[in-house]
This record gives sequence, C-alpha cells and structure tokens, in this order.
Amino acid sequence: MKATTPEEEAIIALQGTLRDSILESKTPRPRRVYIRVKPKANKKAVSSLLKTFPATIISTITGIDVGENIEINYHFWSGKTEVTIRTEIPKSKPEIDTITDIVPGASLYEREVHDLLGVKFIGHPNLTRLLLPESWPKDSYPLMKDWNPEHVGSLDASLEETLTIGGIEKNGGSLVNVVVGPQHPALHEPERFLFKLDGEIVVDVEPRLGYAHRGIEKGAERLMFFQDVHLVERVCGICNVAHTTCFCQAVEALGNIEAPPRARYLRTIVHELNRIHSHLLLLGIAGLEIGFESLFQYIWRDREMVLDLTEKLTGNRVMAEYSTIGGVRRDLTSTLGNEIKRGLKKLKDRLNFYREVLQSDPTIELRTKNIGILSREKALKLSVVGPVARGSGVESDVRKHDPYAAYEEAPFDEILYKDGDSWARLMVRLDEVDESIDIILWAIDNIPGGPFRTRVPRRMPEGEALSRVEAPRGELIHYVRGNGTAYPERVKIRSPTLANIISFREMIRGCYVADIPAVLISLDPCFSCTDRMAFIDERTGRKWVWSMRDLKDRRRA
Amino acid sequence: MMLEGNFFFRTLIFPGFLFLFLLTLFCDWFERKIMARMQNRMGPSYTGPFGILQPLADYIKLLTKEDITPRHAKQFLFTITPIISFSIFMLSIFCFPIDGVNIFSNYGFEGDLLLVLALVTFAHFVLFLSGWSSSNPYSGIGAVRIVTQFIGYDIPLIISTLGPAFLARSLSLTKIASSQNIPFAILTPWTFIVFLISLQAELEEDPFDVPHAETEIVAGYGTEFSGRKLAFIRLSKDTQIIFGAALAATLFLGGPYGPIPSDPTSLWFIIYFVLKMLFVIALLELVEAVCARLRIDHIMIGNWRIIIPAALISVIITVLSSPYIKPLMEAII
Repeated sequence: MKATTPEEEAIIALQGTLRDSILESKTPRPRRVYIRVKPKANKKAVSSLLKTFPATIISTITGIDVGENIEINYHFWSGKTEVTIRTEIPKSKPEIDTITDIVPGASLYEREVHDLLGVKFIGHPNLTRLLLPESWPKDSYPLMKDWNPEHVGSLDASLEETLTIGGIEKNGGSLVNVVVGPQHPALHEPERFLFKLDGEIVVDVEPRLGYAHRGIEKGAERLMFFQDVHLVERVCGICNVAHTTCFCQAVEALGNIEAPPRARYLRTIVHELNRIHSHLLLLGIAGLEIGFESLFQYIWRDREMVLDLTEKLTGNRVMAEYSTIGGVRRDLTSTLGNEIKRGLKKLKDRLNFYREVLQSDPTIELRTKNIGILSREKALKLSVVGPVARGSGVESDVRKHDPYAAYEEAPFDEILYKDGDSWARLMVRLDEVDESIDIILWAIDNIPGGPFRTRVPRRMPEGEALSRVEAPRGELIHYVRGNGTAYPERVKIRSPTLANIISFREMIRGCYVADIPAVLISLDPCFSCTDRMAFIDERTGRKWVWSMRDLKDRRRA
Repeated sequence: MMLEGNFFFRTLIFPGFLFLFLLTLFCDWFERKIMARMQNRMGPSYTGPFGILQPLADYIKLLTKEDITPRHAKQFLFTITPIISFSIFMLSIFCFPIDGVNIFSNYGFEGDLLLVLALVTFAHFVLFLSGWSSSNPYSGIGAVRIVTQFIGYDIPLIISTLGPAFLARSLSLTKIASSQNIPFAILTPWTFIVFLISLQAELEEDPFDVPHAETEIVAGYGTEFSGRKLAFIRLSKDTQIIFGAALAATLFLGGPYGPIPSDPTSLWFIIYFVLKMLFVIALLELVEAVCARLRIDHIMIGNWRIIIPAALISVIITVLSSPYIKPLMEAII
C-alpha cells in the first residue's frame, strides 16, 4: 500500500512495526488520525512514530474513564498530522509503561493523568502530584465518573509539609534553597518554584503547579455544550478568545456543523486582536521584570488601543465572549472596520519604535541575549510550543501547519528565530504582533458577506473531536468527546504553558538569580491556564465542585 | 544661653532636622513626579496640592502599621539598624554648608569631606546588617549584594571627589563650595560624569538597583521590615538620596553660592542649594527612567574594568589641566 496523504502515511508507518497490535485506525477529519493499539503496545507505537517523523512532539495525554477501563490517549503532532494513539487499561490494575524515556516532554502529562485518574506510569522518574494539593486524600481521583465531592475523605494537612522549605540544604555544601512563590513580585499568578542556589547561580529548579486549580475539566462535564463555552473562556483571562475558538471548533467538528465563512473571518480578527493584546502585555511585563519600568508603562499605554478596539467589536475589553458554537455573537460594521484599521496602523508605528529599543538598548541586550538558551534539539525533545519553540527555530505555528478559521487564505509569515535565548523569544512576539496587524487588515478588507452565526442543536452526536489553535502562548488543544446528549462526556484542555513550563528547568540552569524573572517571563507563563480543576477549603477540609445551579443560587442569596 | 538656644534651633528645626525631613519628603515627591511624567503617568496627585503630601501620608500610614519581627531575626540588630542608618545619613547632611555654614554654625574643619564619606560607607554597612539580621533568604541575598556593590563603587566615588578637592586645595566641604565661581561640573565635566555614575550606584537607582530588585528578591534587605522599622528604612533611603544630591551640589555645582549674590544671603543660599539638589535628582531620575536593571556581575565587571579606571584617569586629567583651570577659577569674582 502506498501512502498518498500524510494521514495514511502515519497509519502505514505504525502498521509496519506493530502489525496485529493495531486494533483500529480511523481518519474522521483531515489531519486527525486515531489509532487504537493493544495495552502493552503503546510504547512501541510511540517509538515507531518518532522514528518515522523525527519532528514529532507530544501534545498531551488524555485519560478517560470508560466504565471498566481507563482509556489513555496519547496525542502527537507529527509535523503534518495529529496522531492519537490510544489504549485501554483495566481500572483494577491501572498500570502502563511510561514513555518519558523516549519522549521527555510527556513527563508532566503523565503526572497529570496519575494525579487525576490514579494511573501508575511504570518507570516514570518522578511520579508525584501535579495539580492537586499534597494533602489530597489518596485513592480519590476527581476525573473518575463515580467520583463525588461529598464522599472525599478528609484532607491531611501534615502532608503539605513534604514540600521542601527554604534554607540551607542539608549535606548540600554551599547549596541554598530559595522558594519563589506562591506569592512573589515576579509572579503574577500563584505558583511555587524551589530554586537550589550556589551563591548567585541557579543549580536546579523544581516547579510546583496547581495553586490556581479550579476543576474546569470536571466542571465542563456537568454543563451543557453551549454553557461550557463560557466556562472554558474562564480558563484564562488573557487568551480567552483562543479557548472559546478552540472549544467551539471542537464542538462544531463533533456535531458536523459548519461555521459560516463570515464567522471564520470574524474569529480570525478577534483572535489576532487578542494575540496583539497578549503579546504587548508580555513585552511590557518583560520590561518590568528586567527593571525597565518606562518600557512597561509605554507598551501598556499602547496596549490600551487594542483593548478599546476589542471592546468596540466584542463589547468587552478583555473577556471577549465572542465565539460561540456555530459562529460568533456580533457582526463587524464597515465603520468599525475602518476604525480598527486606523488604530492598528497607528500601533504599527509604535511597534517600530519598540523594535528599535529591543534591538539596540544595551541594558536589554545584557539582560536577555544569550540568557536562558534552549537549543532546537532540546525544544523538540521537551515538546515546547508557540513563541518559545519558534524562538529556538522550531516550526510550530498551528495557524500555518494546521490552518483553521481564515488562516488557510490569510497571507502571513511564520516568525522564526534561531538564537533560542530570552531575547529571541521576545523578538518572536514583537514580530508576531506585526504579522497579526497585517492579518487583521487583510481580513477586514476581504471579509465575505452572509450570516455570522448558524443555529445549532443543544444535543451533540456521539463521537470525538480534537481542535488545535495557536493561542498567544502556543498550541492550545481541546479534546471533546460527546455521548449523544447535550452534555460532553469529557473535555480535555491542554494549555500551552503546561507544555512550556517543563523547559524552564533546562533554560535556567547555570544562570544567575537575577536572570530568573527575565527567563521565566520569556516563557510567558500563564498558570491559571495550566491549572484547571474543585474548590478546596484547606482549613475545614471541605471540598466541592460548584455547578452552574449553585452559582445561580449563590447569586440570588 | 543664647548660643545654646541658637544651637538647638539650628540642629532641630532650621536648617537642621525638621527642615531636612521636610526636604526629604519633598524630594521623594519630586522624584516620583518626575519619574511618573517620564513614564506617561500622573504620579502622586491626590494628597495635597499636586499630591505633594503623598510621601508624608505614606510615612504616617507606615507608622500606624503592625510592626512584625520574624522569630529567627537577630532582635537587637533588626530593631536598631533602621534607626542607626537613618541617623548616620542625617548626621552626614549636617556637615554640608546648607546656608553658607553647616548646621553647627561654623565653616567645618579641614577634612570633613573625608568624615562624610566615611560615615556613608559605615551607613551602607548598617544597611547590610539590617538585611543580614532578618534571616530571610531574600534579605540575605540583598544584603550580600549591597556589600558587593558598595565596596566596589565607594572607590570610584571617593576617587572622583579628589578632583574638586585638588582644585580647591582643601578637604573642607565649605572651602570646596566657596572656591567655585564657575562650578566644577562645567570646568571638569569628566570628573562630574564619573561621579554621577558612581553616585547612581551608591543610591541603588536603575541600572544599579540590584540590592532591592523586586522581581528577583522581593524587597532585598528590606523584605522582612514592616511598620515603623520599614518607615525608617524608607526614610533612610530617601535621606540617602538627599545626601547624594547635597554631595554633588557641594562638590561640583558650587554648593549654596549662586550666580548673583543677593540679600538676605542665608535665605538665598538655601534656595540655591535646594535648586541644585533638585537638578541633581532630576539628572539621576532621567538615567533611571531610560535604563533596565543590570545584573550584579555586570555591575561588578563594569566597575572594575570601566568606572575605576575612568575615575583614575579623570583625576589625572584634572591634575594635568589644573594650570589651565586655575585662571578660570579666579576669572570672575
């Protein structure tokens, strides 16, 4: 059999080595391949995929409770197509071989599945909690279908103390542990980093996520699809448009709904406005982190222009509430189109000034050039995404390689820098703002007429869909499985920061303490994206998940 | 008795403690306002006219806040260091000829320049102790950074004060100030620039603000301080800026002596002195606004490779060119 499409190529590559271990393979949509393998064959399948496509990166691992078994889905992006390798393991003995030895980037995803579903990945070097607190009771796995927040045992606060505290390391010679976070001026969201320092030099770092964990994935299962649009919007305040667009695309694919062409263009415009606002925010913060307050103040002043335009188009400054299943909520008038064009042209002039500053200011150069280097090989190995990957020269722009909305037609370049240092990561973002402005100007000129929204049923057919968008921070994935009702069976969100945070350790080793904020910010970490799942009151040990009805009751009360 | 009454009035009220305290608050406001305007912001604008009372309000607020001492902190040092550092900076400003004479109504003594510089070096050591005694990793790193930075930059600062001292043939602040018919900043700009750069580092302003780089080590040596102690730490930092501006004004801008002698002289002396200090502060703030923070290793390398040699060369140039500068100094009287 000869491969004609990239999808077939992937299937044939796996069939060659696995033969009868493959139980099922299907290609429901372009660039989406699902392959079911026998329980023990998962590692072999992954390694043969890596052999055929060396630029393969792992997108995420989704664990799903399917009755007697737990289904483990490995989502890979092979450079041309999204390959999902899946296998089932029994709940009675939830064990599976780790793939971290061949795909180091899978480390955090395996820990996430372990944390929320209790799967043991045999051979994982550090299989500890990722999102849930240390005091969370053992054998209580929130993503199990029969999990009930009322029946969780009490929290054991003494377990929290297993986190290493700051101070001089025992038997560590001159090593000093310094804890950064959960509250720290350099972090704008709660997250905890344990740095091992030798004087001013960083020897190692251990991040601890989960401080902003809200249970959104579990919460999404209790809401209807159209309600979930608003829930996923709240995964992240900054890249909210990316989340809604991604979720809506997944649900549209699930229900075989086609969004009207005008809606696809409008989504592109808002998506790019959102990207500009996010990138400018980051560039400003980067200035703040390296002690350049004036740059911060100036960039944020210009960011106001984008926020105002977003407000005029969507009705909200930040939380756009724009995309919805089957289209968008508001139309673009030609007057507003002209206003956006005028505003963005003004912004473009300002950008040239900032580019000059970033390229020529000696203090910025000292603080960012050759600091926090991530080589191309390491970037691929750790499966980083977005501007972090492109700063290391890895082609990873979803808009280019897996086009959605109006990006198939839009003329734009993928920004690549080969340096791999903090400076390159900042420059990627600056140049992307430039490209985004061009995309918006093009989209406003070429927007097709017609309706901007179609009516969709609440009930979605049984099936599954995986949607990828290029969020400001990188590839964002929503995997949605429907069960024939108006409620999703499983919503899996993989935000870009979870993919990127793993590379921080690689970048920061050997750097100075003073480089920590500068390097961390070049990742553009967004921890509220990364942590999503139940409310916990640490003192009383009470746990609960709020449903929409509870929220409404509370509002009335 | 008359003499003693005058002495107390001068030390405690004018131009002593109270005046300097108000001047400190004013300079704090001035600094913040300039910075804000450069960054396209409003700056303090609610408390009092143009927000001029904002620093005072801040201090009053701090004084009312809870004062916490960490359990592992060295109690005695932790409590006493903020007050000592503030007192030392205040005492060193007393030596400047603010209204033609210093606070003690005399013209100082030969060598009070050295006394002032020595006091400030000691004050930096006290700041180091304040960070070191609070037993917090951030404070510890901040304290070590202070010592590293100040040991380095004290050297070019002291060397660059040699230029004016050499030209005035005196180590007395009053004599150096009074011998400038044309300010040394104009006659020997090379020394002035080196002096300003080292001063920027001494005052921990960008690009040299590593000892309290908030995104790296929270508030550096001041992390554990709160309430009254924090107020004193803040106050000693502000007084330090006044001190730096006064030093620059005395050594390079002719101190209290203005271009036009007018009556009553002691009042005009003060006006000129304050104006010159504000000019220096504005210069320092301008540099701060356009710079990113450097790293401690950049700062040390920059010091030993560039600033110290530059300071030495500037002194050599001053000495070599003194035959040409001397006539200029005496030209206009």
